[in-house]
Amino acid sequence: MNISVNKGGDNAAPVLALTDLSKTYGRRGGSVNAVRGVSIAVGAGEVYGFLGPNGAGKSTTIRMLIGLIAPSAGRVSLFGRDLAAEPSLLRRVGSLVDGGAFYPFLSGRRNLEVLAKTHGGGAERIDALLDQVGLARDARRKVKAYSTGMRQRLGVAAALLNDPEIVILDEPVNGLDVAGIQEMRELIRSLAADRGKTVFLSSHLLSEVQQVCDRVAIINKGQVVRESTVAGLLDQEATSLRVEAAPVEAAAAALSPHWPVVRDGTALTVTAGRAEAPAVARRLIEAEIALFSLTPVQANLEEVFLALTREEPADA
Amino acid sequence: MLNPISAELLKFRRHRATWGLVWIWPIGVTLILSLAIAIQVAKGEVGHAATAASWIDDAADFWNIPLDALGRYLAGAFVAIVFAGEYGWNTWKLIVPHRARHSLIAAKYVVALGLLICGFTLGAAMFNLLNWLKDLATGTPIPTGITAGALLKAHGLAGLAALASILLTAAYTSLAAILTRSTIAALVISLVITTLERLFRFFAPMFEPHAPGLVAGLYRLLPGYHLANLSEWLTEGRVLVVSFPSGPFSMAPGTSLAIVAAWTLVLVALTFRVFRRQDIN
Repeated sequence: MNISVNKGGDNAAPVLALTDLSKTYGRRGGSVNAVRGVSIAVGAGEVYGFLGPNGAGKSTTIRMLIGLIAPSAGRVSLFGRDLAAEPSLLRRVGSLVDGGAFYPFLSGRRNLEVLAKTHGGGAERIDALLDQVGLARDARRKVKAYSTGMRQRLGVAAALLNDPEIVILDEPVNGLDVAGIQEMRELIRSLAADRGKTVFLSSHLLSEVQQVCDRVAIINKGQVVRESTVAGLLDQEATSLRVEAAPVEAAAAALSPHWPVVRDGTALTVTAGRAEAPAVARRLIEAEIALFSLTPVQANLEEVFLALTREEPADA
Repeated sequence: MLNPISAELLKFRRHRATWGLVWIWPIGVTLILSLAIAIQVAKGEVGHAATAASWIDDAADFWNIPLDALGRYLAGAFVAIVFAGEYGWNTWKLIVPHRARHSLIAAKYVVALGLLICGFTLGAAMFNLLNWLKDLATGTPIPTGITAGALLKAHGLAGLAALASILLTAAYTSLAAILTRSTIAALVISLVITTLERLFRFFAPMFEPHAPGLVAGLYRLLPGYHLANLSEWLTEGRVLVVSFPSGPFSMAPGTSLAIVAAWTLVLVALTFRVFRRQDIN
């Protein structure tokens, strides 16, 4: 799989940064903290995933990011500048939220024309974009006759109309069939890899995020609970170690007083995190056991996601 | 600014209900007057000979429609769709990130008022033309002394009075649309305000003995009397005198103009302010 490398590393200046971003609805007493102190930074050319269960604050964060709702606190910066002070920065951003809401009485093409006129450019790209998202044949049909997937694809065309430097996609594969998901995945990757665009996407389809994104943030109850590269996240969240050692029985005997150990053929699975690997190795060496390999077992993203967002039982 | 206006025109040209509320005036006038002429001709009726002044006054009668309840209801319905439609279609999310919010609202005012004025002006032109055709068809003598200048003046003054009414209707309907985020709610609020405003104008003299201070204060403050006063002044050249039990009530046209303008400007300013701070969820 050809996943692009993380271009949003420490050296790259973020093109998109959220700093202590918060949103509170309602007044004291009945107020709800939808987003609490979210801080993330996305580098140029990066594909950044934003994951979280329903109601975690993903959509609220994205709406603050594109100026639809005002933050209660914190700052949104685009290209190193404060969005609140320069709302026109959003002209360099394309977005798809809520599956692409369009004027139902207009054709797909006319919707894009309205949008091009609204932001003062992009009309010349309409045909190419409709072709790119596979809607060229249906461009003159009214949007009210479009399927969810077709609207979603029109939404992507709308997001790319002004040739934005940052593309923000909220659940871009919703409503798409398997082939459509595959096309969308390729499109997102090519936006970053071939055209140098920065993509910020939210999705509940973890496998999509795993395949497409360079880095991810996991948000739960309005707070970012983890931000990492996908590989790093999986490594950090490894919950077991695979040990190949001989004799295996002696190895099990040396480790079992300290960690739960399960024999798996000629190897052992030790329930211990990556951070405990040196201690496991030390125990085996002290017991004069030959250690051939010690490997953190990667959880899949779904397991990590569930572990990070799981509801803790309330204290009695 | 031209781009958002052009976008508004493009979207509403394709929306039948909205488009229909603009062209209902010239089309409606044409259909109704054509039918009336056909009936008059079929019955062989001949109209009364009129003076030039009364013929010109009659020709500009169409401008009473935007001042009347029906005209204001339909104008309110149009403005409600233009402003609240975006919430119903969920399309603010599509366009808000790409333009300053004030320019989106300004474009809506320009397009809504521009189209309404176009619709009413065409309606007035058709009304004038068909009045003339009616006289020709029924053999009613057309008085001498009717000049293009006199006709234009009569239409212009009546049109100004109608414009004040259209602007005020658009102002409170647009604010209702932005506050409620619903076309139906905005329409209902617009209907209720228009109806109450007219009812109060007519029934206030009856209530005056029960609460003289309050009724007089509201009569002075609310725009109902002032719209009628402006119309009376522009079309008849005199102030509107209303008989109250305590005595006749009238105000200077300049004061009426200032009060209608103040209401309109405050409501429009509130619309801009509310939308600028509004969360689009």
